[in-house]
Amino acid sequence: MKILVIEDEEGLRESIEEYFSGAGNICETAPNYPAAITKINLYRYDCILLDITLPGGNGIEILRQIKENNYPDGVLIISAKNSLDDRLNGLNLGADDYLVKPFHLSELMARVMAIVRRKTFNGSNLLLFNEITIDLLAKEVKVNSTPVKLTRKEYALLLYFIANKGKVVSKNAIAEHLWGDGIDMANNFDFIYSHIKNIRKKLIEAGACDYIQASYGMGYKFTGQ
Amino acid sequence: MKLLTRYNRVNLVTTIVVMLITGIIYYQAISLILINQKDTDLGVEEREILEYTKLNHHLPQTFESNDQQINFSEAEPGSVKRHFFNTMYFKKWRAHNHRDHRLRGEYEAGRGLITAVTVDGKYYKVTIVESKVETEDLIRIIFVITITVILLLLVVLSITNRLILGRLWQPFYSIMNELRLFNVADTAQIQSVETNVDEFSELNQAVLAMTTKAKHDYKDLKTFTENASHELLTPIAVINSKLDTLIQTENFSERQSKILNDLYSAVSRLNRLNQSLLLLVKIENGLHQDEEKIDLKALIEEQLVQFEEIFQDKDLKLTCSLDNKEIYAARNLVEILISNLLSNAIRHNYSGGQINIVLTAAELEISNTGEDKPLADEKIFMRFHKSSGSEGSGLGLTISRQICENFNFSLRYSFQSPMHVFTVKFE
Repeated sequence: MKILVIEDEEGLRESIEEYFSGAGNICETAPNYPAAITKINLYRYDCILLDITLPGGNGIEILRQIKENNYPDGVLIISAKNSLDDRLNGLNLGADDYLVKPFHLSELMARVMAIVRRKTFNGSNLLLFNEITIDLLAKEVKVNSTPVKLTRKEYALLLYFIANKGKVVSKNAIAEHLWGDGIDMANNFDFIYSHIKNIRKKLIEAGACDYIQASYGMGYKFTGQ
Repeated sequence: MKLLTRYNRVNLVTTIVVMLITGIIYYQAISLILINQKDTDLGVEEREILEYTKLNHHLPQTFESNDQQINFSEAEPGSVKRHFFNTMYFKKWRAHNHRDHRLRGEYEAGRGLITAVTVDGKYYKVTIVESKVETEDLIRIIFVITITVILLLLVVLSITNRLILGRLWQPFYSIMNELRLFNVADTAQIQSVETNVDEFSELNQAVLAMTTKAKHDYKDLKTFTENASHELLTPIAVINSKLDTLIQTENFSERQSKILNDLYSAVSRLNRLNQSLLLLVKIENGLHQDEEKIDLKALIEEQLVQFEEIFQDKDLKLTCSLDNKEIYAARNLVEILISNLLSNAIRHNYSGGQINIVLTAAELEISNTGEDKPLADEKIFMRFHKSSGSEGSGLGLTISRQICENFNFSLRYSFQSPMHVFTVKFE
């Protein structure tokens, strides 16, 4: 998967680049408007991460160019502005998703994966991961054709893990993904633990490998092996 | 005390005092002039007597007259000293019956002159007394006129004050009313009041200038908060992403992972606080998101699903009685309101506690068990007011109330032992 990060904040750009690189992914960056314009006109990407406020121009303008030229790239807007107008404006112009800063890299990854899946599988709604098959439309999970009954949150969690396979996902990121950032969960990660325990149990019982590992008490890692 | 009443009181007291003093001065002046007049009359009479005796060498006959009595009596030569004096004048009535005419009559104030005359070597003391009754009458009339004028003034003053001053002060009351309705957060400007009284138009201008400045300052402050919060978003995003990157490096000691966990918690709290501030500014700015019809019952049930695990974890007993209720509001704000109230009900509860949710057509009531004493009623809605040990941002209830005000709902707190009750009244 090929990603372009258009973001002026160096620290954030580097983190995203590092997180998205490797495991067969290529991640390119553009720190400003002219660089971004050059890159989108020269290369095609599976997904473009687009910051709205950029030195030398507006991210919305870049989005407009992508759409005017009918480039098929998926676009995920990452913006510090959490206003409904901006969001609607971006989505109306053809952005695939909108993520408000600050965010967890794992959340960003999950969103990007969702966009890329929609783009590249062209309507196919099956996500395969080793022996696990996920029907994204019916929201059904099978391990070697054995159906696994997961709750809504367990299902969301499994997708999140698969999108971030090989990465350590922090408990905060999981909590915010499942419950939204409005809920103060800082002192209560026990639910996450019990959710994870349940998923592991259900997957193993259906015959899958034990992919989920706890990582130093900070989070969990879904190993690809 | 009203300014009008106070003004009236001062006005009346000074008027009465001044009128009384003028009355006294009047009285003194007029009686002095009239007594002088009387004394001149008495002097003329005296001269007449002296001339008569000089000419005729005997005492003049004394006549009974209505306003003058003259008396002669022999006296030791040189014993009489000429002087004027106040006395009583016995006025005889014009009697129809001749027999008792000496007995009937009345005393009036009089003015007398005692002088001496020598006729044929005999020394006589002469007493001339004239009635002063006209003088007294004059003074009485003056007194009555003065009193009448005072009374008239009182009446006229009180009427004018009531009628004219009431109207004169009208602009003042209008300005007062405008001020009372003034709200810095409101976008509506204060109305200028039409008046051609200099003081009021000055007051009006001062009030307009002050409110405009207050609004301007408030707006500045709000913009500052908004900008500050916005500027904070990027660094928080960097910290967050760096932490996410850092934990990928693995191989942490237990101590390091504990520190990392604490960092995560702090950043997430910082983020939540910042988001709350932004949200608060946004609601206060009245940037209404598209309002829509919301099935409140369905929305609450959705939220309850979100909180499911937490209820279970804290072993909270939840009882719901939800009627169908549709409201017209911005969905995301109502979600935040319900979520805030539910989070509070959970956060300030104890394990094994109770939460009741009652939704009727008129109100939504969320009550929970908790500390067995009432909270500080109005304080809890203030920014950054937190109960000790609370992990919240201290903005939850402020935001909740602001959201309610935005849609003309009211949010109240009451303590009905052992339940803490938060009530949202629609309309």
